[in-house]
Amino acid sequence: MTARLGWIALAVATAAVPLLTSNTYYLYLVVSVGLLTIVTAGLNVLVGFTGQTSLGHAGLYAFGAYTAALCAARAGLPEWVAIAAALVVTSVVGAGVAAAALRVSGPYLAMVTIAFGLIVEGVLIEWGAVTGGPGGIFNIPKPALRTHYWTVLVAAALALWLTANLRRSAWGRACLAVKSSEVAAESLGLSAYYVRIAAFTVSAAFAGVAGALFTFLNGYISPDSFTLQTSILFLLALIFGGLGRIAGPVAGSIALTILPELLTKLLDYRLILYGSLLLLSIYWLPEGIVGALSGGRKRAAPHPGPLPIGERGARTLAPEGRGQGEGQSDDVLLTARGVSLAFGGVAALADVNLSVRRGTVHAVIGPNGAGKTSLLNVLSGFYAPQAGTIELNGVSIMRQSPYAIARRGIARTFQTAQVFSGLSVRDNVAVGVAGRRLGSLLVALLGAPGSRPRELALQSRAQALLERVNLGDVGHEAADALAAGLRRKLEIARALATDPLLLMLDEPAAGLSPAEIAALDRQLVELRVRGGPAVVLVEHHMDLVMAVSDRITVLDYGRVIADGAPDGVRRDPAVIEAYLGATA
Amino acid sequence: MYGLVALGYHITWATSRTMNFSQGHAVMVGAVVAYAVFVGLGWPFPVALLVSLAALALFGALVERIAVRPFFLRASPAWLLATIAVGIIAENVAQLTFGKDARAFPSPLMKKPIMVGSVGFYPQELLVPLVGLLLMGLVQLFYHRTAYGKQLKAVAWNPEAAGLMGINIPRAVMASYALSALLAGVAGVLLAPLLNVAPQMGTIIGLKAFAVAIIGGLTSAPGIVVAGLGYGLVESFTAGYVSTRAREIVGFGLVILVLVVRPWGLLGEKPARRV
Repeated sequence: MTARLGWIALAVATAAVPLLTSNTYYLYLVVSVGLLTIVTAGLNVLVGFTGQTSLGHAGLYAFGAYTAALCAARAGLPEWVAIAAALVVTSVVGAGVAAAALRVSGPYLAMVTIAFGLIVEGVLIEWGAVTGGPGGIFNIPKPALRTHYWTVLVAAALALWLTANLRRSAWGRACLAVKSSEVAAESLGLSAYYVRIAAFTVSAAFAGVAGALFTFLNGYISPDSFTLQTSILFLLALIFGGLGRIAGPVAGSIALTILPELLTKLLDYRLILYGSLLLLSIYWLPEGIVGALSGGRKRAAPHPGPLPIGERGARTLAPEGRGQGEGQSDDVLLTARGVSLAFGGVAALADVNLSVRRGTVHAVIGPNGAGKTSLLNVLSGFYAPQAGTIELNGVSIMRQSPYAIARRGIARTFQTAQVFSGLSVRDNVAVGVAGRRLGSLLVALLGAPGSRPRELALQSRAQALLERVNLGDVGHEAADALAAGLRRKLEIARALATDPLLLMLDEPAAGLSPAEIAALDRQLVELRVRGGPAVVLVEHHMDLVMAVSDRITVLDYGRVIADGAPDGVRRDPAVIEAYLGATA
Repeated sequence: MYGLVALGYHITWATSRTMNFSQGHAVMVGAVVAYAVFVGLGWPFPVALLVSLAALALFGALVERIAVRPFFLRASPAWLLATIAVGIIAENVAQLTFGKDARAFPSPLMKKPIMVGSVGFYPQELLVPLVGLLLMGLVQLFYHRTAYGKQLKAVAWNPEAAGLMGINIPRAVMASYALSALLAGVAGVLLAPLLNVAPQMGTIIGLKAFAVAIIGGLTSAPGIVVAGLGYGLVESFTAGYVSTRAREIVGFGLVILVLVVRPWGLLGEKPARRV
């Protein structure tokens, strides 16, 4: 509620400014805040939601500004056409830059975006025939400041509203999932690359519109406004305001527009001021002003609240048609033949054969370092084996990316549970339910009414899955607040959410209490009874393995030393030797 | 000459998987301090060099302490932004104490050019790559032949295990930052006579060096030196045949190209994906 009051107060205050004062200086200030808000709201989608840093958004801002200026000044088009053109051009440019730049991440991405910004700046100066060179473009027909004031305010409000919608949608969850754990997101069928490109494109479009509005504020533009310093300022405003918070861009933009104006006497110290502000906010305000003001409590993504009665379980999402495979004559689901994997000369897997039948629980056991987890990583596409073939449903899945394999129906959990922090427990599962089917990005941004039934169906299915693993009551809690045992359950629910043909569990019982292990045991049995997916179980708890497995493969030093029914494996001398080191 | 600065990125990356984004500002600090002592106070050049290097080692250690250590091992880009912040502050401090104007740095090696045919160059220009190659050799020896160098590599590979083996990680990382800044300082002093000394010189040098480090491969010292030479050549050709501004466009365009084709650099190791 307080948040809503804050928004209303802000809207009233900004609307009152032109009524209370005729001083254009104040109008100009508010417009500047508005422009910065639009850029940082877009940047928030990229940095705050998706976790990728860009230091080149001044370049995109410039693209928007120059596109608008050329449309208005040279072609004589009306303002709204110029703004629309800027939107389209920067979206296309942004998608192009993203496709190239997002092949890398972290400091590399920072470098590519810096390079992009500098290239744009260089071209603006060099290509005088079009851009006017260092002098820029002037005599752009511009609207009256008062009219423009309203345009910018509406645009800024729209920008915030769009990001808030996005954050609540399947797209928003996908962004946060990719930010939190790329590996886990890919294991659910999400392409991290694709999600990041989408986020970058959205942020580019926002920067472009802000650039166009900037053009119509001043009536002239020059390359000086689009330097690396500008890009750093954008990022600083976002971080200072509150990364990932919807209100963060507003708070940061107000602070960074007003502060320098108050300290004009200290112009020489401006860089020190920016630098210190950046350091201070990284140290003491990791969640920005907004995070600090809302009491520092760590908040999960906005929760859609309890499901309306009657909607519960009313609809479930039909599982994706996954064509039950062509060569379905036998009931073998997954076949791996002669799989070998080496890390710099050390063989992790040597000539491993594995055959998993439908509707069975297939355990993979072995001493530590035997290659069990490596085998899972190969099967789910995270490691590329040097030799061998892997077929799912008679179709080869060799050399496919993890998300493509996930889409074909292999889901998995991880040795150290990888839950998506920053998302609620139920939203974690909802990421799995949606998988690759994120719907239209535009619909997500607009929060269009048509998307509502789908969202409800997603949420109710997520809730049903949570109830299956006894997590129904904690759906609204932040996922990273869960205890280790509950995280494992959550991971299983999330993996099941993808409706897999094969579920691979990597030491699901590690760190669980005996009671929890018994519950896990029941769940696995239940899964089989219900005709659920086949299960590959990597586990050390022999009681659990012997109780639930239909078949056991034993690995030692990367080789299969035994394979068969539990009773036979238990008596196998090679297995006993590997485990006990006995020569008897 | 960018290679020398770029080696600094390699050194901290190789130890801590972090980088000093104010490396270019370290070059600037080196040049400014050397100028202040040599020209300002009129002390002999070797003294100026030593003072400058000492200041740089301190600068590197300081950057590590305030901008990297609090965030080391945290999967956040905070160190990236924090080092940028330190660089910005350093630039402003230099502006306030040194002034905004560029000044020429006198050098005995800049008095008369050597003529080879019709092309003339100064001995100073020859000195830079020579010192660069020499220092690269020393860095390589340090990493592969000395116990301390091997320790630093161990930290890069697995900080936790290295810590358990009794390596003082914070000190190792700090040492790598000091060493990295030291190289930048050498570059600063060597470059000072070629370029003019100015507080603003840092940003662009730092960026170009970073470009070189990426092209060569952050994990490969020889790759960086080769890339440094190549980058310098491409730049001078573009500047000669097209225009001075175009040289930056071409240079950074090259980086994007390399990253798209070989994201880990020309001679770098392809990073293994860890699950």
